[in-house]
Amino acid sequence: MKLAVAVQRYGADINGGAELHARYIAERLARHAQVEVVTTCARDYVTWRNERPTGVEEVNGIPVRRFPVSHERDPLYFGRLSGRVFDQEHSIADELSWLDSEGPASPAMIDYLARSAAELDFVLLFSYRYYHAWHGARRVADKAILVPTAERDPAVGLGIFGPTFRGVRAVMYNSHEERAMIHAATGNQAVPGVVVGIGSEIPRRSEPIRFRKKHNIQKPFAIYVGRIDENKGCKQLFDFFLRYAATFPRGLDLVLIGSAIMPVPPHPRIHHLGFLPDEDKFDGIAASDLLIMPSYFESLSMVALEAWAMGRPVLANGRCDVLKGQCIRSGAGLYYERYEEFAETLYSLESNGPLNARLGRNGRDYFAQHYTWPVIEGKYLDMFDRLKRADAGGSSRPPIEALPGWLARRRRDQRPAAEILASIPAGAVVSDREAARDLSRSA
Amino acid sequence: MTDFSIRSDNVDVEQIMRQIRSRIREKRGVDYTEEEIRELANVKLEKFLDPRGVRSDLLEQFRRKREASLPPNFKFEDTTLYETHRGFLAFMRKLLNPILKLFFNPNPLIEALNIQSKLNAQQAALEPLYYEVIHNLVLETTRLGIDVKNLKMRVESMSSRLDFDERRARALEGVVQYRPGAVAPLQPPTGGERREPRTDSEQAERRNRRRRRRGRRRPDDRGAMTAEGATSTPGATGAQGAERVPHASGESGESSGSGNHERDSDDGGRQEDRRDDSPATNSDSNSGDFDSNAEDRSES
Repeated sequence: MKLAVAVQRYGADINGGAELHARYIAERLARHAQVEVVTTCARDYVTWRNERPTGVEEVNGIPVRRFPVSHERDPLYFGRLSGRVFDQEHSIADELSWLDSEGPASPAMIDYLARSAAELDFVLLFSYRYYHAWHGARRVADKAILVPTAERDPAVGLGIFGPTFRGVRAVMYNSHEERAMIHAATGNQAVPGVVVGIGSEIPRRSEPIRFRKKHNIQKPFAIYVGRIDENKGCKQLFDFFLRYAATFPRGLDLVLIGSAIMPVPPHPRIHHLGFLPDEDKFDGIAASDLLIMPSYFESLSMVALEAWAMGRPVLANGRCDVLKGQCIRSGAGLYYERYEEFAETLYSLESNGPLNARLGRNGRDYFAQHYTWPVIEGKYLDMFDRLKRADAGGSSRPPIEALPGWLARRRRDQRPAAEILASIPAGAVVSDREAARDLSRSA
Repeated sequence: MTDFSIRSDNVDVEQIMRQIRSRIREKRGVDYTEEEIRELANVKLEKFLDPRGVRSDLLEQFRRKREASLPPNFKFEDTTLYETHRGFLAFMRKLLNPILKLFFNPNPLIEALNIQSKLNAQQAALEPLYYEVIHNLVLETTRLGIDVKNLKMRVESMSSRLDFDERRARALEGVVQYRPGAVAPLQPPTGGERREPRTDSEQAERRNRRRRRRGRRRPDDRGAMTAEGATSTPGATGAQGAERVPHASGESGESSGSGNHERDSDDGGRQEDRRDDSPATNSDSNSGDFDSNAEDRSES
């Protein structure tokens, strides 16, 4: 079997969510198939500047073919177009301009995919909202399997993405909430889809004592791992934790691992350790009492899964449907939406040992059941088999919907994407039964 | 305090969250979000404010009146009286202006209207500020009303707890002071006096009391148990020893009993403290699993 993985950026040093996801999947599927990664020369996700050489190189044993980006992103122009398509009545042409301005625009990459499609069994397209995924899905629709990594942001309400989601061969979702949102936004229930997510390399042994000694942390602590950024909910986390620390002078400390984009408040109980290697990260999680995930928007939190894999409960932001749903379904975490709930839940996890231990055990079971690599690989391979059987059975599928004509494309009849998003039901998919019902509907 | 007893393998996170939220509601009385407070401030002020003093739809009325009663402002300069879009007419007015001034002086009129237009503009600029001040006042008053209500509930809750504690203290004092047959704790030993139970019923009552005391001992009171075994040792502090040694009986018996009481009250005190420690609740429930663990963790 021959597979191509198309993603906006790729590299061992790139830690962005979707890019890392793509790398892990490519490396894992390479055990079962011949995998080639098709990507751009960009390294920076804001400018998409060409920083890597064009051509083929190997990353962790996987061949990576890079194509140049035709133009960098102009943030002002992109911002203006975003305002138009998200908040105003607009046309399909506006949406296409938005997609082009968002980038990374690489027509050469799309041409290559179209040329080599005949030799490939499937093309895995990561991140639906970028140029390569939209154009790639249209050019090689018969081979395209989309891994949308969609968050609850207005882009999902744009009209141009509906045909993409309805026209690909299959969709690999990260969570039940993501699938429910995409179904509601695009009506692609007929397209085969499965909730997969991603696994993680969990070390067999961790050394919490070593972590405590190395970083001189004696007291029990809650841990946050990730970029320290307002967009990740860290400002709210700091506000809440400072209030909590004032209320409970002998309570938990807060340990932060990750590079800081916003200032970390100076407080004796907040320890910012900066970016740490994986070994330290896992030791830190093992040494902690719980992991806090304050992010509002996540399509899948790898750190939360890692914490669960290590038997630690998670305290998540309840405004993030995905995290809330995972906490409920796994029975391995609590969630908060405001300070009172934050304080009460953190206090519960801090002081209630049996509860903490039970949630941790549930997390470990949940990870083992859904997110270990054999499970993830199995889901991908099952999907490939299913699609191949459908091909062999000679079932015909309609071609991907064509774009409207020149004039129709310029008619300003598209509703603001934010308005469409607001009309999509939100909330966690709370039970496995509900998830199964959703799955059977889509099947 | 959180009191989730985790005894089964199934943890219902939603159930726990419901408990947490209900406890927050109990603690805060009524649990409002910012949006709800705003809504209340706009709609249902009479629930929290004195309806004689403030109208419930004050903001709405103010806003409506302001929109309805605002006349368009005008600009009035010295040339305004003679302005026209027709060039010829403007020229004629300018030409005839000296003749007009023969009849009356328009300058004070122009000046007054000019001042008036400026005053109108100032007033219009101030009105949004008034509106904002009133809006904020209404919000704060609503918030204060809710706080007062919550504080009242807390005071009630605390006074009832105080009553309970007082009753408990009195009951404990009563047990210590009026135990039949017990010698007063501070009374010096009188020596040799031993009061034997006279009747069968008295003996039975004494046995029961002894059993009760044993029953209240905790497993960690090994020392006391050992001392109890040393029945033949004079001056032993256990209840048994107290029975055999007359001059020690009252003190040691009481000290053993009061020791238990102290331990109980210590526990109670700790539990109360931990309840007070809770971020949002003062639940009176007591879950053994959780409490002991919480204590262990705080100790560590």
